[in-house]
Amino acid sequence: MEASIGRRSSPTQPKWRKVAYGGMQPGFQDNHTDESFLEDMIMNASVVKRDLLKVMLDSVSISQYVCIVALVVLVWTYTLRSSFNENSLMLLDIILLGAGFFVFQLTAEMLSFDLLLSYVLKIFFFITGVYFLSPIYHTLTRSISSDSIWALTASLLVLHLFLHNYSGSTVKAPGALENPTFTSNISLNASIVASLLIASRLPSRLHVFAIVLFSLQVCLFAPLVSYCIKKCSFRLHLCFSFGLMAATLFFVYRLHGLLFVLLSGILVFVNLLGPYWLIRIQEYKFEINGPWDEAKLCFNLTE
Amino acid sequence: MSKQEKHRILMVSDFFYPNFGGVENHIYYLSQCLINLGHKVVVMTHAYQNRSGVRYMTGGLKVYYVPWKPFLMQNTLPTFYGTLPIVRTILIREKISLVHGHQAFSTLCHEALMHARTMGYKVVFTDHSLYGFGDVGSIHMNKVLQFTLADVTQAICVSHTSKENTVLRSGLPPEKVFVIPNAVDTAMFKPAPERLSNREIVIIVISRLVYRKGADLLVEVIPEVCRLHPNVRFIIGGDGPKRVRLEEMREKHSLQDRVDMLGAVPHAKVQSVLITGHIFLNSSLTEAFCIAILEAASCGLLTVSTRVGGVPEVLPDDMVVLAEPDPNDMVQAITRAIHILPRIDPQEMHTRMKTLYNWHDVARRTEIVYDRALRCSSQNLLERLSRYLPCGSWAGKLFCLVMIIDFLFWRLLQLWQPDRNIEVVPDIHLTNHMQDKTARDSNMYEHLR
Repeated sequence: MEASIGRRSSPTQPKWRKVAYGGMQPGFQDNHTDESFLEDMIMNASVVKRDLLKVMLDSVSISQYVCIVALVVLVWTYTLRSSFNENSLMLLDIILLGAGFFVFQLTAEMLSFDLLLSYVLKIFFFITGVYFLSPIYHTLTRSISSDSIWALTASLLVLHLFLHNYSGSTVKAPGALENPTFTSNISLNASIVASLLIASRLPSRLHVFAIVLFSLQVCLFAPLVSYCIKKCSFRLHLCFSFGLMAATLFFVYRLHGLLFVLLSGILVFVNLLGPYWLIRIQEYKFEINGPWDEAKLCFNLTE
Repeated sequence: MSKQEKHRILMVSDFFYPNFGGVENHIYYLSQCLINLGHKVVVMTHAYQNRSGVRYMTGGLKVYYVPWKPFLMQNTLPTFYGTLPIVRTILIREKISLVHGHQAFSTLCHEALMHARTMGYKVVFTDHSLYGFGDVGSIHMNKVLQFTLADVTQAICVSHTSKENTVLRSGLPPEKVFVIPNAVDTAMFKPAPERLSNREIVIIVISRLVYRKGADLLVEVIPEVCRLHPNVRFIIGGDGPKRVRLEEMREKHSLQDRVDMLGAVPHAKVQSVLITGHIFLNSSLTEAFCIAILEAASCGLLTVSTRVGGVPEVLPDDMVVLAEPDPNDMVQAITRAIHILPRIDPQEMHTRMKTLYNWHDVARRTEIVYDRALRCSSQNLLERLSRYLPCGSWAGKLFCLVMIIDFLFWRLLQLWQPDRNIEVVPDIHLTNHMQDKTARDSNMYEHLR
């Protein structure tokens, strides 16, 4: 009908202006759509073009962490079956602590003697605290049935993996810029609660102490150590991850065939299928910006 | 010229008197001007505290305060089908011909428009705000809007930027969207009888002190302006969560004698505050159409505003100084405004505003939209359902399902409470000039009960 697209019917007709004042513009209906309609719209301004190889290399840190969690679950399974006794667990703890500390020293900046002493003191307090709390953990879930414990642990571990911060570390490394996010705190808490639940099913207090110490070491410090390795050298990070993946697959194969298939399926999905799918659906991304956007403040609000 | 037929319009929104705001004032003034043109207007909104039931306002404007309490930010609880009985009763009682919904954020509006379409009435929707596309709330809101506007007869936006935004969000064809701006009541917003002296320059800010209205920009701008121009004073009206920051700023820079904080200013007193100033400062971060600027211009103040949303379209370039939403740019704009100030004549600005914005003009343009809407063909259920399917692969089918259930519920209501059992309200004419028109209309003239 009358809805025209920007043509002058006669030379004396004034041009359409993008203004709201002055009532109806003479010669144009209110639903007139000019050629300048949507000319200020900007599409996909801040969308990053992703490269398949880079996404795959980045996904290695996810699969590395999945393998670490799988190894922890392996240790729990063997302990619950009484294949490990408490002495071998304590030995494992001490080896892990030493190795982690060694790697941290190598890859992070050289620590001064004072800082080193403060770290040793904090770890000593930590170990003493866990030792004195282990009798409580021992009898924590005595009245709860076993299948509730397994179900709860499994769901907490899944939650932990979903919400984990794979790019940084929840426990702040010295020199790290970002604060931990809300979801990474939730994932850390989920993993701690899961390890306490498992620990409460063990026969003696020393078992409990060893397992809680082992689980907490891994939960709190493994992300930190892997973050430091990644920051130091990317090739070292790749070697470490692939070695870890191979070791995990070997041990899980020895435990149970079906779990081996499941774990290798997850690793293939995370490393190969996931990046491919992400790149495929990137073409549907449609980000719209224009004069209707809320203005962003260019200064930080200081409270 | 053929005789214009008179319409019977139902305005629906969650936002109406006794609240004051852009949408509320728009509905009220538009309804009053439409009544002056001879149409019948009924407003439907939710109950406000004790105010529930039927009320009459100036000029015979009937308002149904439906007894639903607001549950979140002045919106009623969305129950999908709960409002169908009351909407049907109102539409039949008042012999409504057209339903006009306001504001995308109002759940009552969406529900009423859905029920009106099910019952075969023509529907017009006015959008008053701008929304983004990226965050979770906006994505859901846009989907709901897409549902409502998939089957709307005509749509109205308050500025050209708002039209672009609405077309992108809802996928409507641009020819269906009309741009009809708001206006200002120039009879209420008159300038001061005597010109104020220019020795001391007073800058007025009246807005809700929230993040969206740029209260943080004010915190940065005011100390700088006070430092650069020793003869400038600020008057800040309005309340909100950011008031604390402004008070802190006042203490930190010792500006107690140069910055007055008035607190919340009731709508009736806004004009008396405005006429004490020379310049009006608007620092909002997003605006579809800023009525505050119109009120200030009508009172003869020069406006300084951020260039966001629909603001550049609102006033001619010699009545407003625009700046980017950046503190330095705003300070420079205020400096430019102070230099322009001696050339401004408030009375001349007020007279000019009377020609630029007029509620009667808005009502006439809206009447054209109503005429267009009523001339559109009616469609049966199957044709209407085909309009919902393109909304999305899952969403389209879900919307169709919602409309089918609504249709079935309506048929059930028709069986249970037939149309002829609902009593039709006789028209009560309260103004004299309507009597000439009643001779041509078929309305009955009843005694006031």
